[in-house]
Amino acid sequence: MWDSFISLMINILLYIYAFVGQNFGLAIILFTILVRLVTYPLNAQQVKQSKAMQDLQENKKWQDMQKKYKNDKEKLAQEQMALYKELGVNPFGSCLPTLIQFPIIIGLYQAIIRALAVSPLQLLNLSKHISNGADLIPLNNHFLWMDLSLPEKDFGLAIAGFGIPILAIVVVVTSYLQTKLMTPPSTGGGNDQGAQMTKAMGLYMPIFMGWLAYSFSSGLALYFVISNTSTILQYALMGRLDWSNLLPKRAGK
Amino acid sequence: MKTNRISLILFILLISVALSACASGSRVVASGWAGITADEETAYLAYNTHVYAVNLANGTEIWRYPSEPDPSITFYAPPALTEDGQLIIGGYDNIVYSINPQTGFVNWTFEESEGRFVGGPLVTQHGIFIPSTDNKVYSLGFNGQPLREAFTTEAEIWASPGSDAECDCIYVASMDHKIYAINAQTGSPSWVTNDLGGAIVGTPALSDERVLYIGTFGEEMIALNADNGSDLWRFAAQDWIWGGPALSEDTLYFGDLSGSFYAVDLQSGLQKWQIQPGSAVVDTPLVTEEAIYFTSESGLIVSVSPDGINRWQKEFEGNTYAGPVAAGDLILVSTTQPEALLAAFDSNGVQKWTFSDASE
Repeated sequence: MWDSFISLMINILLYIYAFVGQNFGLAIILFTILVRLVTYPLNAQQVKQSKAMQDLQENKKWQDMQKKYKNDKEKLAQEQMALYKELGVNPFGSCLPTLIQFPIIIGLYQAIIRALAVSPLQLLNLSKHISNGADLIPLNNHFLWMDLSLPEKDFGLAIAGFGIPILAIVVVVTSYLQTKLMTPPSTGGGNDQGAQMTKAMGLYMPIFMGWLAYSFSSGLALYFVISNTSTILQYALMGRLDWSNLLPKRAGK
Repeated sequence: MKTNRISLILFILLISVALSACASGSRVVASGWAGITADEETAYLAYNTHVYAVNLANGTEIWRYPSEPDPSITFYAPPALTEDGQLIIGGYDNIVYSINPQTGFVNWTFEESEGRFVGGPLVTQHGIFIPSTDNKVYSLGFNGQPLREAFTTEAEIWASPGSDAECDCIYVASMDHKIYAINAQTGSPSWVTNDLGGAIVGTPALSDERVLYIGTFGEEMIALNADNGSDLWRFAAQDWIWGGPALSEDTLYFGDLSGSFYAVDLQSGLQKWQIQPGSAVVDTPLVTEEAIYFTSESGLIVSVSPDGINRWQKEFEGNTYAGPVAAGDLILVSTTQPEALLAAFDSNGVQKWTFSDASE
C-alpha cells in the first residue's frame, strides 16, 4: 500500500521532470508546490480550527469554567465538551488535517530521496517504482551550482575561498521564519509549558533542519526551502502570519 | 523545562524515523555491491568495507584490506587481476587501489578521479581501463600512472568496459545510453552509437563474428556491428536489463529485472527459451560446457542446462548481486547473508564451503 503510494509519487515527479525539460531541481520545486496545493484545503481547515480553539481560550465562559472547576477535572471536561458543542468547535479539528497531511508530506520526501538514486542499490530500488520513464535514467541532478544528489558539504559554494553552505543557511532562515510567523500568540503567559515548548521548538527545529540540509542530499535541502516558503505564503494568503513575533519582546510581556 | 526537552528530542526522533526510508523486511539488507574475481588458488571478494582474499580450497580468509574497517572506504566494484601480479579495484571513495594479491598490501593508489568507482577495471596488455561516475574512463599504466587524458562520455559509467583484441579497442558502455569504441593504444574514439534507448550498466559481450551484444534499461537486448556500431537486431525483454549478457557458441544468455532469464539466438535475435525462477537478475550469467548459472536478487543461484531445464537451485537468506564466477571446478557467488558472504558450489550444486567475515 505504502509502496504503491510512493511509486505514484515518484512517477508524478518523473512526469514533471520530463515536462520541464529534464531539470530535477525545477521538478522538485514544482512537485512540492503541487503537493502543497493539493493539501491546501486540509491546511486551511487546520488553520481555521486552530483559530477557533485559540478564540475559545479567550472566551469568558471558558476562562470562568477553568477557575470554577480547577479541582474537578471530570466536571471541567464535561463543561468543556458542552461549550465545544455550543460554539461548534471540534477539539480535534486541527489535528486531523495534520495527521492526513503527514503521510503525504513523508511520501513527497521519500519520492524525492528515492528518485535521487546514486548507488546501484538505490537505482535498483528506484527501478521497482518506475512504470514508464526508464529512458529518463540517469536523472540530470544538476541545478544552479548544486549536484542535487550530493550533500552541500561536498560542494558548498566557495566565496572568497570559503565554502559557504548557502542552501543550509536558507533552510535555517526559512524554518525559523516559518516557526516564528506561524506561532499564535500565547494566551497563558510566558511561563506556561506550551509556550516554553514552542519557544524551544522555534530555536532547535531550524538548526536541526539546517543540519539535515547540510548533511543529506541537497535535493532534500531544496525541498525544505520550497516547502517552508510555500507554507509561509499559504499562511500569508490566509492572513494568519503574525509579524509581531519577529520583533523582540519586552521583558515581562 | 526538562520535560519539554525530552518531548522535543522524542519529536525530532519521530521525524527522523519518518523521514528515513527504513522499510526493510526480515531479509539481510545489502550495504554494498559485491564483486568477485579469482585465480587458481584464491578468490578475491570486494564487499562493503573490505577486499577479502579467500582460500579456494577451504574458504578461509588469507588477508583483508583494509585490516580494520574504515568508514571512508567502501567497495561497489569487482576487482581484476593483472598479469604482473596486481589486484586492481576502484573504491567508492574515488580511489583506485593496486593491492598485492599475496599479502594484501597496497602497491599504489590513483586518486585523480572526481567520481566513485562502480564498474570494475578492464585489464589489457595496454594497461588498466577503469570507469568512473565522473563520466570518464581512466587509462592507467601498471604503475598507476595515467597513460593519457581520460576519455569522457556524457554520463556516469557503471559498466566495466569490454575488450576486443582484433581491433585493439575497448567498448565503453555509458549511462548516457551510448556505446563508445575506443582505440586502446591512443584513447581516440573509433565510433559511437546513437542513443540506444536506455542507460547501460552491463559489460558488452563480443562474439567471434564481431557482433557486440548489450542490454539496456530500455528493456532491449541489442546486437551491434562491432566494426561501426550499427544495429543488427533488437530483442524486447520484459524489464530493464542490468547485467551484461554471456555467450555460448550460438546462444546469448541474459536476465532482466522482472526475473526473466532468456536464451536468444545469436544470429537472428529470436528467443529460444525463457524461464522465470526468481526475482531480478542483475549480474552476468556464467556459461560452461555443461550448464548456465545465474543468480537473482532474492538470493537464488540457479543452474540450467543449455535447453533451459533446471538442473539445481539454492537459495540464501541474503540478496545476491555478484556472481556466479568460475574458479577452477568451483562456482562462486556472493550474498549479503553474513554467514555466506562468499559461497562455493561444484557443478552439481553441492555446496563446498561458505566464507563469512569472522569479525562481524
